[in-house]
Amino acid sequence: MTAPQNPITRAIWDGTLPIKFSLDGTEAAELGAKISVEPYFIEAPRCSYFPLLTSQIRKYFVDMALNFIGDDAEIWYDVDGIPLKWHYPIGLLFDLHTGYRPDSNSPPPLPWPVTVHFKNFPLDKLIRAQAIDATQDFFMSMIKEADFLRNGSTKKVMNLSKNDQTQLWDGLWSSSSQKYRTENYDRFWSVNYRLVINDGQSPRHIPLRIYLPDNCPVDVFIGNPLTLGEVLHQILPDLFPSPLPTENAFAAPVIHGVIPQLNIPIIWASQNLCYPDNFLHIVVLLGT
Amino acid sequence: MSLQTADLTSTPHSSSTSLNTTLVEAPTPSQNPTLALEKYKKKDAAKVIVRFRAIGNAPILKQNLYKISASNKFQAVIQFLRKELNYKASEPLFLYINSAFSPAPDEIVANLVKMDI
Repeated sequence: MTAPQNPITRAIWDGTLPIKFSLDGTEAAELGAKISVEPYFIEAPRCSYFPLLTSQIRKYFVDMALNFIGDDAEIWYDVDGIPLKWHYPIGLLFDLHTGYRPDSNSPPPLPWPVTVHFKNFPLDKLIRAQAIDATQDFFMSMIKEADFLRNGSTKKVMNLSKNDQTQLWDGLWSSSSQKYRTENYDRFWSVNYRLVINDGQSPRHIPLRIYLPDNCPVDVFIGNPLTLGEVLHQILPDLFPSPLPTENAFAAPVIHGVIPQLNIPIIWASQNLCYPDNFLHIVVLLGT
Repeated sequence: MSLQTADLTSTPHSSSTSLNTTLVEAPTPSQNPTLALEKYKKKDAAKVIVRFRAIGNAPILKQNLYKISASNKFQAVIQFLRKELNYKASEPLFLYINSAFSPAPDEIVANLVKMDI
């Protein structure tokens, strides 16, 4: 089955962020870098994950005379002192940590400055990956969770052939290379399409996560109202006093760096605007 | 604090001369969202019952049912179980909800409970 030609899911798949990776100054000295090392720039896919970039980042810094022989899992990233949760997609982390509102007059804070650490993994703040393919495990778990929410069971995902399940992950992680973006999009979406469209049946629940500023707890969505505005109004009535867009709204939802209209049907949003892990990750930002 | 917020937001909806009341009585947007955030940040004091079921060659627990605060992260459940089983951090342990999926350790237990319908 070929992937449907959907310009929106394609645009989301192709979305990238320029990121500037710098070494932590004191660590660099401790790990033997004699001169100050130039930062490393990557145009990272918004839908990808930081651990998938680690091997090329590591190679660059080690080539630049950094004496590091540890495991890739010891490498971690932070922005302004806050460690980045590596099991969150890169685009989500950017929207969440920069709090940048696309409707504001100022330009976006790009390239995004991220600090790379090779030591002192903060076990109290980040999950330590036990195995190299931990990212893949987390990713598949999210897909199963989304399936469970939509259908009340993970039968659909578990019934996918082994080849299909591998297509999902391979389509995503190998999409870091520009050359094969279209093939990888097709690989991923030819399988994901079946999960997301659901044979035309209405999902039981929408797999959705809402992220509030200042580290507020993340909210999972249950129930089935019709539009995005209604969902936000139901879960966060104090921030979204009405399901319709208002003049003096003091909060706005951001997904993939874009503020969606509140009147979009939530099922459509779930099928078209979701991240590869099948979830709608929505960051709520304050401000007019 | 949460009562005040409820009063302030309900006023604009009730009156037929809503335009006037909005201009006069609604709080400035910069005040309300911060109050709203504080309300959402407050930890849910409710407790949730967790039932463990051993599968495969996982050891069977003497006691299966436990109560935990709903505002805890799933990580707390994992660490608690490891302690009960005397498992070291290096020994593999997998937890599944309803035999279906394995949640991320930083998911809130309250949210996971909501999914179990």
